[in-house]
Amino acid sequence: MDWPKWTGVPLAEVSLLMPSRLAKILALSTILVTAGCAPSQGNDDDGDSSAIPSKIVIGSTLPLTGSESKTGGRFKQGYDLAIEQENADGGVDLGGKKVPVELNLLDDTTDQAKAVNLAQRLITQDKVNFFLGTYSTALVEAQSTVAEQNKIPYVNGGGAATSIYAKGFQWVFGTLAPVENLANTEMEWIDQQQAAGKLPKPARVALIWENTSHGKDFRKGIQDFTRAHGTNYQVVTDESFALDGKDFSAILSKVRAAKPDLFMVDAHLPDFITMQRQYLSSNMCTKVLTYGARGSEADARTALGQDGVSYVLSAVWWNKQLGNTGLNKAFVDSFKAKYGTDPEWYQAQGYEAARALLTSIAKAGSVDKSKVRDQLAGLDIESILPGGRLSFPAANGGQADYPFVVQQNLPDGTSPIVYPADVATGQGVAPNPNCKG
Amino acid sequence: MREVFTLAVSAVLLAGFYAAMAYGLGLIYGVLRIVNLAHGGIIMAAAYLTWQLFERFGVDPYIAIPVALVVFFALGAGIYLGLVRFLPRGPAGAVQSLLLLFGVWLIIRNVAYLLFTGNEQAIHTSYATRSVTVFGSSFSVTRILVFAIAVVALLLLHLLLTRTYLGKAIRAVAQNPDSCTLAGIDVERVRIFTFGLGTALAGLAGVLASTLFAFNPSFGAAELLKSFVIIVLGGLGSIVGIALGACVLAFAEVFSIYVVPPYLTSAVGFVLLVVVLVLRPGGLFGQRVLR
Repeated sequence: MDWPKWTGVPLAEVSLLMPSRLAKILALSTILVTAGCAPSQGNDDDGDSSAIPSKIVIGSTLPLTGSESKTGGRFKQGYDLAIEQENADGGVDLGGKKVPVELNLLDDTTDQAKAVNLAQRLITQDKVNFFLGTYSTALVEAQSTVAEQNKIPYVNGGGAATSIYAKGFQWVFGTLAPVENLANTEMEWIDQQQAAGKLPKPARVALIWENTSHGKDFRKGIQDFTRAHGTNYQVVTDESFALDGKDFSAILSKVRAAKPDLFMVDAHLPDFITMQRQYLSSNMCTKVLTYGARGSEADARTALGQDGVSYVLSAVWWNKQLGNTGLNKAFVDSFKAKYGTDPEWYQAQGYEAARALLTSIAKAGSVDKSKVRDQLAGLDIESILPGGRLSFPAANGGQADYPFVVQQNLPDGTSPIVYPADVATGQGVAPNPNCKG
Repeated sequence: MREVFTLAVSAVLLAGFYAAMAYGLGLIYGVLRIVNLAHGGIIMAAAYLTWQLFERFGVDPYIAIPVALVVFFALGAGIYLGLVRFLPRGPAGAVQSLLLLFGVWLIIRNVAYLLFTGNEQAIHTSYATRSVTVFGSSFSVTRILVFAIAVVALLLLHLLLTRTYLGKAIRAVAQNPDSCTLAGIDVERVRIFTFGLGTALAGLAGVLASTLFAFNPSFGAAELLKSFVIIVLGGLGSIVGIALGACVLAFAEVFSIYVVPPYLTSAVGFVLLVVVLVLRPGGLFGQRVLR
């Protein structure tokens, strides 16, 4: 065949190597940028930690630009609201004296290295008293090491992977319950449906998870639950996939061949959209369908349409539907008053992380880092999070432990909480009515 | 057997998208000897343009293709006239072009962050989840449309390069620009057209991608890498070679699930790239390179 050719260029011409001079310039630029030239905004009263300072400075970084900018902005809203409320009556009570709180927040641009460097700078150069963590597991995992090395209390609402808390760190605390709990809470709802005779026994489980710490925790949660329930569940497919997949036909083909009743997937939004489109267009239908935390958000409906997300089960760390009474109502009302919109779980986690830290400082009655750390370790307060209490159990390495709220998308466009029963706002449906036969 | 058939058709459909993704990169490299690192950014920008046309004016993504082609042809010609033409010719300009176009990509990406934030976007058409059933297997209508458009683009490019004076001029400039000048071909004009066409093809890939995947301003990086793998597999020599390279990559990724865990399938292409570079540096369907 006579194909038109435009060249026969040897690949050796394509050199991706960087000249050494350029490398030096880039390295210097990086050092200049990350070392930072901004003036110190730290607490000048650092000399004696037992003395009452004129202000408490909390350092923090969030991804205010970059790929996680929207989420970073949401966490900032939570931090700002908690600190504003604390300062409304003068600040944190330290030994009878009200001390205002200041947040020294920097943008880590969703960059792991920058999150680490900025944390180092805030702690060692700006000498902040305490630290509120950034968002996303990868960034928190890297940044928490800096906090541990510098022995500064570090509370975050953005890192869920158990690997962050399995290192024996003493200064790191997280308000996000493990993703294992996400899987476990969903399985508890499924177990109820099975006990009610709505799902077969044993139920065949197709377990598909993204190859990240998030996905591995999800997998462990499902595995632990199915093992603990003997013959009630049978895992017939157990596969992982790489992020940002372009084609899931091979995995879906395996799943279809295994004839599962429960299609249990853990995926981030882009993979959820791609996989769910392929799932639907290949005419698959399983009695229960979940993509972990995905499905109830507005972005999912926009991308897949109402029919595309109907009966998808999802579980999140918090939902505004919890906000009908008590502390939750106060949070939702004050959030709406300040920002004019409903909070999502991101803002709730930011708010609770800041509130946990501020409460611990007040209980310690001091800005002494060790005392505040001890208070965080023993904290047990009323919370807006599911279960109503927030603590950082040592057995979990400082990671909070509570059930998720399970939601199910219904064809009318609502996503009521269907589990746990004490906070449920609607009835779940199983099996999926879309499946014929 | 049915599973193999389903996977084979899925691989062919995926290859269509992969080929559309790589045409522009291959054309620009073949003629100008420039690896267009802004390729991924153009794909992302075209996805956003399509999304905006869909959301604001209700324009179907496939109807938006001519608009995207015109816009990105103009953008490509502008990038060439404003930036690329000042680079030194030949190997001396290789590194500069990489850095320059990488800079263009960063600018495009950050403008997208400023305009649209980092939130994921996706286009939901009425047919997004519809399917066609063939021999008991169902295939997505959207993926079939993407494949069909990729084939049409292949045919049109083939005709352009073989049946038109402009196409012959492009091939001639790719082979020997100095002789073209002696023969009266306006080499600079051919290069402007080629860079514009390559960018327009990246725009086409962006339109098609927006109908298949969710995207954010970081979208395009994986597409650039895969495009590079495809043009190397295809031999850096022809549009048909690129189509065949896309088939090899798609089949390798889809069928590798029988050999390696699914999370490793995306790495299969890069292993193929290394193997091909070592054993056959001219590409699977390109010229043999004498050692």
